Amino acid sequence: MSFSITNKLFPSNHKTVFVLDHTPYFGISCESPIELEFLKARTPGFIPMTPICKSLWTSSVESAIEYCRIVWDLFPQGKLVRFIASDTVAHILNTWSPSQQNLSHVMNAMSLIGVPPPHAINRNLEYTVLHGLRAAIEALSDCTDIQVKKSQNQTFGDVQTKLINRCRVICITSARDNDSMKRLEEIFLSVLQQQNKVAAGSDRLLTIDHCHLVIINTFPVNIESQVNNHPPKNLSTILTTEVHSIKAPLISNKLSTLILEHYNLASTTVTGIPMKEEQNASSSANYDVEIYHASSAHTAILKGNALDSAAIRTIKDGLEYETVTLKWCTPRGCSGSELQNCTGMFRITPVDVNSRPSLCLINFLLNGRSVMLEMPRKAGGKITSHLLASHGGEIFIHTLCTARSVLEDPPSISEGCGGRVTDYRITDFGLLIKQNTLVPIKAGFVDEGNRPIQKMKTRLNRHTKYWPLTISSTLIFNLKGYIDPLPSIITKEKITEEEVYQCRRIIFNLISLESKNESLYSLNAGQRVKGQKREDQYKAMWNELETLLKKNLHTADHRSVYNCLLECHKFNFEEEKLSDKVELDEALRELDHIGPSKSDSDAPRASVIRATTDSPMSPPPLTSINPPVAKSGTSRSGGIYSAPRTLLDIFTSQEKVKSRPEFSGRLAGGAVAKLYANHKYADSGSRGESMEVE
Amino acid sequence: MAFSSLYEEKCPFTRDYSLIKNELLNIDDYDKTCIETALHGVNQLVLGEWGNNTACQIILITDGSTGLGAMSLKESFASLNQRTAANPFPVPFSFPAKLHIVCIAPPNDPNLAKSKSLYQRLVDLTGYDGSISIPDGPLNETTVVNMFQKLAEDMYTSFKGTLKCGNLESKIILSPAPVPYTKVTDFDYQTYNLSDLIEVCGFISVSDVGSPMAVSRHLVLPASANKDHLPLSTEIDLTDDDATDEGKVPSFCVLLHGALKVENMAALVTLADNWFGFVYSWADSKKKSNLMLTILTPGSDVVPWLGDLNNLGPIDSPQEHMGAFPVRPQEKRSYSQNGVVWIRQAGLQSDIQKILRHARKLPEKTQQFYKELNRLRKAAISLGFLDLLNGLAYIFEQECMQLPGSAHPDCALQLQHAADVLRKTQNRDIKYVVVPLQTNYNSS
Repeated sequence: MSFSITNKLFPSNHKTVFVLDHTPYFGISCESPIELEFLKARTPGFIPMTPICKSLWTSSVESAIEYCRIVWDLFPQGKLVRFIASDTVAHILNTWSPSQQNLSHVMNAMSLIGVPPPHAINRNLEYTVLHGLRAAIEALSDCTDIQVKKSQNQTFGDVQTKLINRCRVICITSARDNDSMKRLEEIFLSVLQQQNKVAAGSDRLLTIDHCHLVIINTFPVNIESQVNNHPPKNLSTILTTEVHSIKAPLISNKLSTLILEHYNLASTTVTGIPMKEEQNASSSANYDVEIYHASSAHTAILKGNALDSAAIRTIKDGLEYETVTLKWCTPRGCSGSELQNCTGMFRITPVDVNSRPSLCLINFLLNGRSVMLEMPRKAGGKITSHLLASHGGEIFIHTLCTARSVLEDPPSISEGCGGRVTDYRITDFGLLIKQNTLVPIKAGFVDEGNRPIQKMKTRLNRHTKYWPLTISSTLIFNLKGYIDPLPSIITKEKITEEEVYQCRRIIFNLISLESKNESLYSLNAGQRVKGQKREDQYKAMWNELETLLKKNLHTADHRSVYNCLLECHKFNFEEEKLSDKVELDEALRELDHIGPSKSDSDAPRASVIRATTDSPMSPPPLTSINPPVAKSGTSRSGGIYSAPRTLLDIFTSQEKVKSRPEFSGRLAGGAVAKLYANHKYADSGSRGESMEVE
Repeated sequence: MAFSSLYEEKCPFTRDYSLIKNELLNIDDYDKTCIETALHGVNQLVLGEWGNNTACQIILITDGSTGLGAMSLKESFASLNQRTAANPFPVPFSFPAKLHIVCIAPPNDPNLAKSKSLYQRLVDLTGYDGSISIPDGPLNETTVVNMFQKLAEDMYTSFKGTLKCGNLESKIILSPAPVPYTKVTDFDYQTYNLSDLIEVCGFISVSDVGSPMAVSRHLVLPASANKDHLPLSTEIDLTDDDATDEGKVPSFCVLLHGALKVENMAALVTLADNWFGFVYSWADSKKKSNLMLTILTPGSDVVPWLGDLNNLGPIDSPQEHMGAFPVRPQEKRSYSQNGVVWIRQAGLQSDIQKILRHARKLPEKTQQFYKELNRLRKAAISLGFLDLLNGLAYIFEQECMQLPGSAHPDCALQLQHAADVLRKTQNRDIKYVVVPLQTNYNSS
C-alpha cells in the first residue's frame, strides 16, 4: 500500500460528534440585536420594541446545523454527524443510523430538548459539558454501518486494509480561562484512553485510533474572553486538539473555515449572474453567488498556470479562506445535449442557501438549464473551465478539460476500416437502439442473481442472432412490407400464440406471392434488381428467412414458426447432408438441442414437435443451412450471398435430390397445384381458420 | 527536461524529432542530483500542458545516483511524513503517470544496488506500475540502445480489443491506450484493469447521460482482423492499397457510430467486472466525426442520476418495475427544501417581511400567512430562538395599530389572534400548528 493511499483511507470526517453546551450559561443573549430595517421607516406613533437577540444556544445550534447542511448536501452517504447536548446529563439527539442522519431529524430533536434550563433549578446537579464529551467518546467507539461491514469483510479474509477508526469531536462551549480549557482537554484524553481499554475487551466496540477534538470557545459580543486560540497540537498519538475562541455571532464563519479543511472542500464564487431586480423587473443587475464543493474540482485550474490561478483566488471579506471567482457565462443553446469532456464531478451547495441570488441560481439550474463558468487568462482570452448542472434534483459542478488534448486532429471514422461502405442499415440499427434503450429498474424488482444489465446482454444477443450489417447483404430486411413484424417478433424472449399466428400468416402470404409470381421488389422499386430472376429472388428470400428463423429458436413457439416455414416451403439441401443418411429421429433430436432454452426436462414437448414435423408432407430435416445462392461478381463478405456457389452448383445439387419424396403438389404434374387443398386459405378468412396447418 | 538542483525545460512537447535531437546536444553539467526538484518540474510542466487527467509516461534518465545530503532522494523520503500543504512531495503526481527510471550505469555498480530500492520506492509511490531499467550486460552503446528499445516497445503497445453488441462485433484499437485505474474510497482501494472485451449493455439518450465524470476518453478505431500481426508503425504507409480495401469491408463500429449519431444516443458498455463506460459519436469539428469511449470511474454507482448501472433494464419491462431518468435521491438537498437559515440577518429579515406582506393582504392571503408563520415558528422553536416569537407577536400588534382605515376588518382580527398564539408558552411545541381564527369573514 502506498503512502498516498494510507492517507486517504479512513478519514476522520467519517464520524463527527457535535457536543453542544446546554448549560444555563448558554441561555444568555449574544447581545447582538437583529436589525429590522422595515420597522425603522415607520410612522412616528410607533413604539420601539425591545431588540431581538439570539442566545448563545441559538447561535451554536444554528451554526452546527449549517455545518451539517453543507456536509449532507455534498456527501449524501458515508459522512456521519451526531449531536449531543450536555447539561446535567448528556442528551443524545441522533445515532449513526442513516435514517437519523438528516436535518429534519436533528431539528426535531433540538425542539424536544428546548432552550437551556434556567440557573440552578437543583443545586445538587452539576451542569457541565463533560457529560456530553464522555457520551461523545462512547459514540465514537460505536460501529457505523460501513465500519461493521468493513470489519466483517476482514473477518472473512479481506485483510487488504485494516480498519482504522479515526473521528472528530466539535465541542461548542464556554470556558473561564486557558487553565480550565487545558483541564478540559486533559480530561477528554483520559476518558478517551479509558474508553479504549473498555473497547479492547469488547467485540462490539471499536478502539478509537485517532480523535480530532475541535473546541469552539464562545461568548457574547460584549465580553472579552480569557481563553486563547491554539492551533492543532498532538496531546497524544491518539488525540489532536485545537481551540478557537470566537464571539457567538461568528461561530458560523469559523465553522465555514473549518469545514473546508475537515472535508477538503473549496469555495467558488460565481460572478456576474444577471438577475432581475426585485422591485423593478425591467432592469437587471449582476450578482455573485458563493458555492462549496470538493476541492478537487479546482485541481486542474489551480495547478496549471500559476499566474492565471493567482488572478482568480481571493480571500473573502471577513473570512479566512480563499474563494475562486469564475464568471457566469450566459448559456448558448443547449449545452446539456452533448457529452462534455468532464474530468471531475462534485455536488455543490450554496453557502447562503436562502439569499435571493442563491435561490435564483439554484432554481435556474433545477429547472434543467446548465451554466458554463469561465476563467480569464492572463495571456488574454478566457477559458470555459466548469459546468454547473442539475441531475435529478441535485446540483453538480463538472470540471471540464481545459488542457491540451492528446486527441488532436483525429481521423474521421469514414477514413478507417469499413469507412467507405455507404449502405449500412443505420435506420434499422436505430430501431434496435430504441428497442434496447435502458431504464432504471426499481430496486424491489431486481433479481440479485441475474441483474437487469446481465439480462440486457442476453437480450441484445437474442436481437442480433441474425443481423446483416448492410442493405446489400440482406434481402428480407429490405422487404419490410412483406415480412414485418416477423423480425421483431421472432427475436422476443417469449412469443404469444397470437404472434405465432402473425408470423405464420406472413409466411403464407409470401407463399401466395410466390405462387402468383409477383416480384418481391415491386414494393421498393429503388432497389437494385438487375440480373436477378424472380425465381432467384424467392430462393434467396426463403433461404434468408430460414436463417433468421433458425437462429431464433428460443422457445417451442419460435420453433413452431420455424417448422411452419419448413412445412410450407421446400428447401434444397446439400447433397452430403443427405448422403449421411441421418435418421429422421436423430435429426429431430439435434434440432431440439439448438434452442438455448432446451433442456432434458423438455422431453414431452419434443414429441409434439415431432408430430408436426413427421408429417408426410414435410421435407427432410436440415442440420445446417448454407445459403445456396451466390451472387456472382461480388466480393462482399458476410450476408447470404457470400457462399461460394454458383447457380449451376445449386441446379446440379437439386437434380441429385430428386430421390426424396416429392411434395404432393408437385406430384400432381405440370399444372399449378393448389396449396393447402384441405383448407380455405384466403386473406379475408378468419384468422383461426387460415392458420390451420396440416 | 534537464535537472540538477534546479530544473530546466529543454524543449516543449513536440513530435519534431530533430528539435529534440538538437536540444539533447545542448545539455550542460550542473551541480548535483536532486530528483525531487525534477519531479516538481514534471508536475508543473504536465499540468500546465495536459491538465490533471491525461495519462503520461515519465522517463527519468540517471546514472544510478540518488544524490547526496540535502535534497537527495533519501532525504526526500525521510521527510515524507512531515510535509505540509505548502511543501508537498511531488509524487504521486497530480495526473496518472507511469514513472520509468532508466539507469545508465554498469549493472554491477555498488552505488546502483543502493539506489535501486530508493528508485523502487519512488515508482511504487506513483501508484502505477512503472519500471526500472538497467543495461543488460556491461555498459556500452549496444546495451543502452537495447535497453531503450525494449522500454519503447513496452510503453507504446496499443490497446487491442473487441467491441461487442450481442452477436455483432468489431475488432478495435483504443487511442490513447487506457491505463489501469486505482479507485480509492474512504474505506477501500482497488485497482481495476480494462478487459479486452468491451460489451454493449444497452443504450441511453445523450441528454439522460448528462456529462458524468470520466477517468479518461479514448477514440475507438475499428481494426482489421488480418493486420493484427503487423506492428502499427511505419508499415501503414506501405499498405495503402490494403487500407482502401478495408474501407469497403463493413465494420460494426461504423454502423454503431452512424446509428448513435442519428439517434443522439450513447451505448452503455462494460469494460471489466463492475466497470462501465459510454460509447458515443463525437466530433471535434463538424466534419470529422468519430466513435468515442468515455471511461467512468469504476463501480456501478458512479453516476448518481442513472442509479445503479447494474439495475438498468429493458424499456418494455412491466410498467410498475420501471423508474425514469434522472433517478432522484430519496432525500432532497437543502436548497430544494425551503429550509430556514438565519445565520445572516438578511435571511431572518426576509422571512419576517414575507409574513408581513401576506398580513397586509388578509384575508385573501390567509393560507399563505399561516403557512409562513408556522414555518418560522417551527424553526424558532427548534433553534431555541424564543425571543423571536415574542418579537413577532409585538410586531403583529404594532401592525394592527398601524392598519389604514381601508383595511379589511379580518386583517386586524387575524393579526391579534396570531400574536396571542405566539405569546402562549404552552404552544411551544413544533407539533402544534397555528390555524386561522374562524371569523364571519372567512367561515364560508
